[in-house]
Amino acid sequence: MIAADGGNWAVGAWEWAVRVTDWGVANWSYPGEPNRGIWPRLLEHMRLAYLSILIGLAVAVPLGLACARWRGVYPPVLTGVNVLYAVPSIALFFLMLPYTGFSDWTAIIPLSLYTLVILLPNVVDGLRQVPDHVRQAAVAIGYSPLRRLVTVEMPVAVPVIIAGLRVASVATISMVSVASLVGLGGLGQLILSDGFRRQFDAPIVVGIVLVVLLAFVTDALLVIAQYLLTPWTRGNGRPGGGRRARARRGATAPTGAPAGAPGAAPANPSPATAGE
Amino acid sequence: MITFEGAAKTYPDGTVAVASLDLTVESGGTTVFVGPSGSGKTTSLRMINRMVEPTAGTIRVDGADIREQDPAQLRRSIGYVIQQAGLFPHRTVLDNIATVPLLLGWRRTKARARAAELMELVGLEPAQAKRYPHQLSGGQQQRVGVARALAADPPILLMDEPFSAVDPVVRTSLQDELIRLQQELNKTIVFVTHDIDEAVRLGDRIAVFRPGGELAQYDSPKRLLAEPVDAFVESFIGYDRGVRRLSFFPASGLSLREDVVFDDEDRVERAKDVVAGDAEPWALVVDADRMPRGWVSAAQLDRAPTGVPLGSLDLAPYGHTFDVAVDSLRAALDAAVLSPAGRAVGVDDEGRVVGVVSQDDLGSAIWSVSE
Repeated sequence: MIAADGGNWAVGAWEWAVRVTDWGVANWSYPGEPNRGIWPRLLEHMRLAYLSILIGLAVAVPLGLACARWRGVYPPVLTGVNVLYAVPSIALFFLMLPYTGFSDWTAIIPLSLYTLVILLPNVVDGLRQVPDHVRQAAVAIGYSPLRRLVTVEMPVAVPVIIAGLRVASVATISMVSVASLVGLGGLGQLILSDGFRRQFDAPIVVGIVLVVLLAFVTDALLVIAQYLLTPWTRGNGRPGGGRRARARRGATAPTGAPAGAPGAAPANPSPATAGE
Repeated sequence: MITFEGAAKTYPDGTVAVASLDLTVESGGTTVFVGPSGSGKTTSLRMINRMVEPTAGTIRVDGADIREQDPAQLRRSIGYVIQQAGLFPHRTVLDNIATVPLLLGWRRTKARARAAELMELVGLEPAQAKRYPHQLSGGQQQRVGVARALAADPPILLMDEPFSAVDPVVRTSLQDELIRLQQELNKTIVFVTHDIDEAVRLGDRIAVFRPGGELAQYDSPKRLLAEPVDAFVESFIGYDRGVRRLSFFPASGLSLREDVVFDDEDRVERAKDVVAGDAEPWALVVDADRMPRGWVSAAQLDRAPTGVPLGSLDLAPYGHTFDVAVDSLRAALDAAVLSPAGRAVGVDDEGRVVGVVSQDDLGSAIWSVSE
């Protein structure tokens, strides 16, 4: 009977979930053994992912500023970054081994390089979508080039940069797991060593759930960060004004409000000397 | 005083933006650079604050060669208003206006206090201080742009087609505001536009540029409209320059007729004594306060029974009037052309009828100023 079958299936699923959860709780951490259990793996995962993203951002911002300033630099740099992304991550981890051994850097260096493929175009597009009249007004008012870049163009580019950071974070958090092949990889070790090699599904499921949760929480933190960093993209300060304000900005785009979307077509900045 | 001495700009590809400009912009008053696209007016303006470096010649501000000054320093001492305002989207209205004082090293509280003063000066509500630029209308954004340019009280203000991106109604109000501000502040304003009407309205002096970056004529608006130097300037000014020129002559010189103005209580036969036939075909009827009510024709007077008050007749609308004390000949002519009677009604500041003037009388007045 259908009802009975459904009931059996549900009971089976419930028992499976309980078994997985029990395993997770039992193996969460071991007092006196700080490097054993799920919790140390989660911390390692966060450490590898966040350091990679931060280093990637630290490289992408100055590189993006250089690409925005000297237009000829961007095409070769972007091609280089793209080619690098085509190298399989496993290969890159193994290539690093002779130089960095089993230190965190074996994972962090390749992962940082991978974030560039997302972050660099976002930094460059973010800077390029600064409306030309805003840039020219900054020049005419008496900003030096560096100060203009840092205090006018970078802040205006922040929404686009954070949009890139969100994609890069999720991708990196997911990719850290692969580094478990070289003995790193945080939660990936649950999946690969404990789960796959021992044909045991509980560690795999716990690993997946925690990776997804970590990605979700990180993304949420970035959304909050953007909200706090860019009060000027909100509406009239009314709760719920954001969506309407965005729609209005879209309608009045020529007045120079920046677009918040990463895919927004970058305004084509013409050189300040373009006369009339 | 800003002097261009043989200033030229040629781009590496050979394009000549400004051929060789010799021009002196006197201190105080508004100088307008006007011309079609590609005439070098904006390039010339941008040479003043070194946003464009001349390829030949010298530009001096109060005698000092601008090349001897650091570009950023120079620009902080010259106000600049750009088309579409160029406001910083990530800063509030108040902080946008405080930008230059802060760059000059003022304390934040002092800079903000100054910004608040300027908001009042350009007619912005204090409540808008904490808003962001995208929350303002185009006209309000441009007011913020003007306030930002004036914040450090620079003696020179450069305005690069500042009002061309707003609708005509807002543009007129911004122009009025600028005229008022300029009366109060008397800055040295250099204003770029492609709109000759805007140039005539705002300028104390007008420099007309021709394609190829040459200065065609540099004159007062009155002389420019009266004596364009060549066919290019004449065609650029437009076919109705004769009529536009009339705006520089006051209507107060017109001799107004009062004998064809009647009270609405007056009887028909009283008006008939003066108004009859083709020689004097219209009478203006006013009320007890001398406010205009409308026109009555000689033919109507003929048909009307005797003893009827003029106010009870079917009056033709009087159209719009001109203020004898402040309006120009152009306004008087406009009022006459639009009136069904072909006559303009002159009024005083309260709108009371002073007298009427016919197209013939206007014609001789116009003829005399054209001499």
